[in-house]
Amino acid sequence: MSRVHTLHSIPVCVQSIEVTIGDNAYQQNRVNQWTTNVVEQSLSQLSKLGKPFKYIVTCVIMQKTGAGVQSASACFWDNTTDGNCSVTWENKSMYCIVSVFGLAI
Amino acid sequence: MEDYHSSSNEGTFNSDEADGIIKESIESVVGADDYSQNQVNKWTAGIVERCLTQLVKLGKAYKYMVTCAVMQKTGAGLHTANSCYWDTAMDGECFKTNMHFESVKISKHTELRENLNVLWKRISY
Repeated sequence: MSRVHTLHSIPVCVQSIEVTIGDNAYQQNRVNQWTTNVVEQSLSQLSKLGKPFKYIVTCVIMQKTGAGVQSASACFWDNTTDGNCSVTWENKSMYCIVSVFGLAI
Repeated sequence: MEDYHSSSNEGTFNSDEADGIIKESIESVVGADDYSQNQVNKWTAGIVERCLTQLVKLGKAYKYMVTCAVMQKTGAGLHTANSCYWDTAMDGECFKTNMHFESVKISKHTELRENLNVLWKRISY
């Protein structure tokens, strides 16, 4: 993914998170729906950009209770054409981490 | 999310192979250790690198993406989801979650366990 395209992915992700979760407090019976909605909305907005890429979007929502969490990823791809970007968003009761991987077709 | 096939063809996905690689990577990097804030960075990096190295050694014509999240078990809620826009005939994924590693600290009589979610995806060229 070119740098420009990586930057285009960020507002797409942020908007899907804010539309889906917004100011809501963490609720166990709703979080399933939230993660699904965030990835689906992000993915549909990204595919609407019309670029020749395959996309993978992942979303993690974690309740804020002081627990530690660490995430890493490693990729075996073409460095000149493929790329990823990650957005970490939070409100008072939870963290939301969305990662987008883009692979050139 | 698409289904994946379990045949051994080059063009399809082998989930058993992936399962074995992921499990071996986690066990060799983390083993029976307790959650430790200053080690967790090394663990996640070690797990993804080891998985990726083993996958590349399979020598198949694929790009790979491996992600790993390690979370301390304190009762907090954690939820993950993923969605993919790819060629459903050729591409696939393997998701391994909730591998519990238990260890007991005798002096404090506490148990610390970790939830390890490893998501492994294979994309065709």
